[in-house]
Amino acid sequence: MQELRDLAKKLLLDKQVNAILGYEWDRRGARPAFITEAGDCDRLVFDHRCVQNLAAYLSPRRANIAQLGRLAVVIKACDARAVAGLIRENQLKREDLVLIGVRCGGVVVNPSDSEQLNAENIAPRCVGCEQREPTLADHLVGETQSAPVGKANRDLRLSEIEKLNPEERLSLWTSLLSQCTRCYACRQVCPMCFCERCIADKTQPAWIESSPHSRGNFSWHLTRALHLAGRCVDCGECERACPAGIPLGLLNHKVARIVASRYGYAVSDDPSRETPIGSYRLDDEQEFIA
Amino acid sequence: MNNRRMLNKTDFEDFVDSLLRAGITVIAPVRREQGGEKVEYRPIHSPAEIVLSGQPPVRPLKEVVFPPTEPLFNWKQTKASVQIEEVPTEFKETVVVGARPCDAAALEIVDKVMGWDYRDELWFGRRQAVTVLSLACPQSDDSCFCTAVGLSPESTRGADWFMSSVDGGFEIEILTPKGEKLLERCKDRCRETKGRTNAMPSLDAKVRANLNIDPGKVREWLEKHFDDPLWSDVALRCHGCGACAFVCPTCHCFDIVDELDGIGRGQRRRNWDACQPALFTLHGSGHNPRKDQTARFRQRIMHKFNIYPARFGEVLCTGCGRCIRACAAGMDLISILSEIDRKSAEEGA
Repeated sequence: MQELRDLAKKLLLDKQVNAILGYEWDRRGARPAFITEAGDCDRLVFDHRCVQNLAAYLSPRRANIAQLGRLAVVIKACDARAVAGLIRENQLKREDLVLIGVRCGGVVVNPSDSEQLNAENIAPRCVGCEQREPTLADHLVGETQSAPVGKANRDLRLSEIEKLNPEERLSLWTSLLSQCTRCYACRQVCPMCFCERCIADKTQPAWIESSPHSRGNFSWHLTRALHLAGRCVDCGECERACPAGIPLGLLNHKVARIVASRYGYAVSDDPSRETPIGSYRLDDEQEFIA
Repeated sequence: MNNRRMLNKTDFEDFVDSLLRAGITVIAPVRREQGGEKVEYRPIHSPAEIVLSGQPPVRPLKEVVFPPTEPLFNWKQTKASVQIEEVPTEFKETVVVGARPCDAAALEIVDKVMGWDYRDELWFGRRQAVTVLSLACPQSDDSCFCTAVGLSPESTRGADWFMSSVDGGFEIEILTPKGEKLLERCKDRCRETKGRTNAMPSLDAKVRANLNIDPGKVREWLEKHFDDPLWSDVALRCHGCGACAFVCPTCHCFDIVDELDGIGRGQRRRNWDACQPALFTLHGSGHNPRKDQTARFRQRIMHKFNIYPARFGEVLCTGCGRCIRACAAGMDLISILSEIDRKSAEEGA
């Protein structure tokens, strides 16, 4: 922790950045912190309760955050994939940011969860994560971490759903999506949902009905899942933020597996890597045309 | 005859069952289908589904009288003529069993705006059809602050019956004519009682420890601090979604949209809306009077703790804590109100 605080202090005092975007303790666990004074750097913390993906705050459209000036951001490996995505998609310039990578051995589901990380409370998305630290970082802090171990696992849950026949699957998702009230927490916490004007907010024509009925909700969630194909960084924020408890991460995880099998592509924190949706190869699968 | 009755547990379940058999919709807290311990208010099919203990339902009771989406009218167009088909404003009899006091109170608070310059037929139509049986709050957590906004875990406001768990059943206080009418349906099962036999220890002190402020002082401070560094500091964290508003028992803003059901026919609907997304105040010209999250977050606090009290004499908040529990960014109304209270004391001194 001291390593992180000392680094943050130095960055502010040397005027390399105007603010540090990291984590601090609140009454109810970890929360995002915006620190502009070197004297406040001792508030910075990092452990398995720092679940939030702070890359969501880096969109150039967050006017009040852009006003802070040049930022240093604390990122886990999954968060780094989002920063890489923002750079790759021309939302950020690498040189405009200082990236403080933190070593991570998995996080809990909610920032207010237990002080001990264990196989019961670890976020399912962390189980199977192979990256202990970001490659895309200017600094790396924290102790070496071991690979996360957990009981819940997204692939297991997905294979259970895949065993259902199409009618059963439709009925499962109809029931889950009927709980959506379109608060758009999923979109707002998503670092890759940075569109100036989301298709769901367009009214002429209204491509996606804003009413939270079955038709509107299916249109919204399936469109979002497809728009994140090959882009979703699997940070799980949409699912954590959903007040209706819809397992949105499963949709994105399924799409990511399809992208992996058809295009041999996995989202990485290398901004120079071309994406399936942003590139063209002669040997791309195209049987759907013929 | 006094207005207190005892109903033992079996009789209570038989009573709920008799309501269901009479074709009355019964709504109660039940476990989410795929949600582990989480509960929600839902229509039930059997009294065995009801979960009265533990955490409050994730979503408040408001959707029973104000659904997330509802049609206002249907329309059909043939050349130049448009036919409008009205929607019913009378609704099926509904009984809510086990409402939390913070949810029941919210209905009365929102009645004020729904019947203010225009009487909202759909809101009052459902209000008329719904009888609310609330239950003395069985459990609080670190997000609860009802005592700081003039309520309590045993507040009877907005309830037609107020139920307290006692050994072997419930003690019931009949509070309204609607409540008396419902009592007719279980007269044989109840017996009169004088008062509390062995009431549960009150959660009052525990909730008070979370937040102890004077909403009047908060309002005075807000009145003088439309511009304050507090707003820009706090709003940095806010992602601008509608989660807080959609789980709030008192937030009542809505959007109106036209949707097509086919060629030349469609529906005008109203859908929940929230003041935190930028789109809420975005003008057709592209101008947005609430230009950033700072302005939008200030609006949320101002509306609840200054504007509503100015117009209707009380805050638009029941201290249920749902906004705190739901926020992915860790926005914490208890911390924010404490900070305003602290600033107000500092300036007053």
